[in-house]
Amino acid sequence: MPSEWEPRILAFLCNWCSYAGADLAGVSRIQYPPNLRIIRVPCSGRINPFFLLRGLQNGADGVLVSGCHPGDCHYISGNLAARRKFALLKELMKYAGLEPERVQFTWVSASEGGRFAAIAEKVIGQIRKLGPNKKLVKSHG
Amino acid sequence: MTEKLLSLANLDPWLARLRERGSVYAPGTDQAGEVALREWPQPEPLVLDYKNFREPPKAFFLPRNQTLLYFRDGKTVELNSAVPETFLFGIRPCDARALALLDRVFLDGDQNDPYYARLREKTTVIALACAQAMPSCFCASVGSGPGDGSGADLLAVALESGLLFRAGSGKGEGLLAEAADLLAEATPAAKREAAERIQGVTAQLTPVPTADSALRLRGSYDSPLWGTAGQKCLGCGTCSFLCPTCHCFDITDEPDRRVRTWDCCAYPQFTLHASGHNPRPTPKERWRQRLMHKFRYAVENFGVPFCAGCGRCIRNCPVSMDLRTVLKELGA
Amino acid sequence: MAESRQLEAQLRETAEKLLREKNVSLFVGYEKASLPFRTTPLLLTKTEEAPRLVWNPFCNANLSVYLPRLFLAPADARAAKAAPAPPRVGVVLKGCDSRAVAVLLQEKQVRRENLVLVGIHCPGIVDRRKAEKALGEHQALGAGEDGGGNIRVVVEDGTESTLRREDVLADACLECRSPAPALHDILLGAPGEAARTGTARPGTARTRTAEFESRPLEARWAGFQEVIARCIRCNACRQACPLCYCKTCIFEQNRPRWIGPGTDPSDLALYHLIRAFHLAGRCTECGACERACPMGIDVRLLARKLSAEVEDLYGYRPGESVEATPVLSSFALDDPQDFVTEP
Repeated sequence: MPSEWEPRILAFLCNWCSYAGADLAGVSRIQYPPNLRIIRVPCSGRINPFFLLRGLQNGADGVLVSGCHPGDCHYISGNLAARRKFALLKELMKYAGLEPERVQFTWVSASEGGRFAAIAEKVIGQIRKLGPNKKLVKSHG
Repeated sequence: MTEKLLSLANLDPWLARLRERGSVYAPGTDQAGEVALREWPQPEPLVLDYKNFREPPKAFFLPRNQTLLYFRDGKTVELNSAVPETFLFGIRPCDARALALLDRVFLDGDQNDPYYARLREKTTVIALACAQAMPSCFCASVGSGPGDGSGADLLAVALESGLLFRAGSGKGEGLLAEAADLLAEATPAAKREAAERIQGVTAQLTPVPTADSALRLRGSYDSPLWGTAGQKCLGCGTCSFLCPTCHCFDITDEPDRRVRTWDCCAYPQFTLHASGHNPRPTPKERWRQRLMHKFRYAVENFGVPFCAGCGRCIRNCPVSMDLRTVLKELGA
Repeated sequence: MAESRQLEAQLRETAEKLLREKNVSLFVGYEKASLPFRTTPLLLTKTEEAPRLVWNPFCNANLSVYLPRLFLAPADARAAKAAPAPPRVGVVLKGCDSRAVAVLLQEKQVRRENLVLVGIHCPGIVDRRKAEKALGEHQALGAGEDGGGNIRVVVEDGTESTLRREDVLADACLECRSPAPALHDILLGAPGEAARTGTARPGTARTRTAEFESRPLEARWAGFQEVIARCIRCNACRQACPLCYCKTCIFEQNRPRWIGPGTDPSDLALYHLIRAFHLAGRCTECGACERACPMGIDVRLLARKLSAEVEDLYGYRPGESVEATPVLSSFALDDPQDFVTEP
């Protein structure tokens, strides 16, 4: 890979907490690397694990999912149902030989702009270290 | 038709000579412990006394995932048509005959399929007559047999002392001429031994009444037996995917390319219209279609059933359905 | 085994009675197939056909796969008017099959009041591929069970040979922890048969999973790739599974098309990851997928891991209770979350 390779990371953020948290990071002018491509979803419970795999297949180098902290879900329990799915998905991917850092889950509230930026920086750094995603990506061209 | 003898000692040198011209695939044991066509040479020795491969060799001619075109810079660029020279040694006569049937679809019609044609042209098929029939074999009932050489460039019969080759095409004749120094004239005794061996295997086959299938199936479109079969069929497509003559395909566009993949009439989506209407809505209609296509429509269109009698559909059906049973019942 | 014969007679009697007394209009069991080491499903509607039913170590299909399609909801009100009443169905179930019915009930795919579940204590069934491989170049013409539970085979030259039961039992059966049908209306046979023949090795699945897991990351990826490399995307594993009942599978949706239908390595990996994940917390480990695979792939590689995870993390075993909430539809406030980044 050429040295100018930059990781492309999909970020699925829930509408009520994490998206607002990312927004707050923006309006507060907190700097973090520009490698996230943010997709706003109603709730982390809305995310089908297939979206993440499909993102990796389509060329994402990593995926970050963020929802409200447990107990704070706008829909009461969407993030709690999601937590079980993601726990299993992460185990499954690790078992199949995919780097666990490529798919990450976290909780960020609407007031945690700083936390969002810090996590984004950490996740981007880890994926940068892993290098480009070659295992699941469908070769084009 | 030229016939020549190759001693077993000369088999490896002969394959090595073919290897200089292209890839050679020959029967060997794979990681799963099954005999399959494998790139030659392998550390393990060649196997000649296998029954048949798990998969038919059709993927050599109709790849499961075949890029037809690349889309580049907003223009359509045709795929580079370079196809390597390939030799397939040891495919069984039923699978070779299946190629002769596929030729009728992809080569003999008004529209030749250039992708198939290229692979067929660059691939030399050397069939190996069967040494043993399986209980699921019925090649002789569909106009083939354990010594059928149609579809192959060369047919080999394994004898006690070597292989008897029979040329089946100009390409086959050419191969024999090139290898003249490794070959001996076929003696009458060798020819007799070959005929006896093939006869011996033919005798092991249980006949299936399919010769007049087209005629009989014409009257059975509404038979209740289709419902019985459809109730059991899981619609998994194993029969088609492992069938050496099933050739239906699907074409999908990826962002940068057009890909052809295998498809199968057992799937509901195979006939699903854009309107949502499906003319073959249940497994009953789909199962009927598969059998009718092979044993009635093919006979009407091409004069032969589209079945090589290899029995893979029978051996591999997860619910052990047997098309021979259904054909028999329909005839009763 | 004499016991099998006896069970077979009881089974025929049971089916005959159910049909005669109009308790069921359809009875799903097994009958003799055209090739050895196999049986084929039999969908019975007439009492006089009951003697065709068999029970032997070759009854491998999970018959609950036929149930959801019998209870499909009509497409619309007009179809509903024309639709016949759903049938009453009797069905033969092994331990794992009955757990699959429990999941189907949990997920409201079948109607309990329309089912008569005939459970059989399962001594494990034969994987025909193992049996065929064990015979080497010989070819079976017929197969049955001997007095000791081993498999007696007649080969092409008329000679008989015996295959040891544990050598030819299906992997899922060697790994089986509950051969007794938990859910049933009628129960045939006696418990403990599997244990008696010394074939039950309930830890096997865990051992296999632990072995795979102990490899380094790259070796696991290579191992996964090697397992799926032979896949031809025929869908046999999906169709043989009673819990893959979606009317339109995600792999078949084409607006949008989620993954390609072919054998591109990325599509293959996604197919197997997604199929396994859709069965997480639902798979009853019957192994029908594995036995259906025409390519002999270990298609339960990922499923075994997920079953172990579901049990370890949430203490849940699918199919054990109809009343339980499915594990991925429920949650606890204190579910483990060590996997979360900066929790």
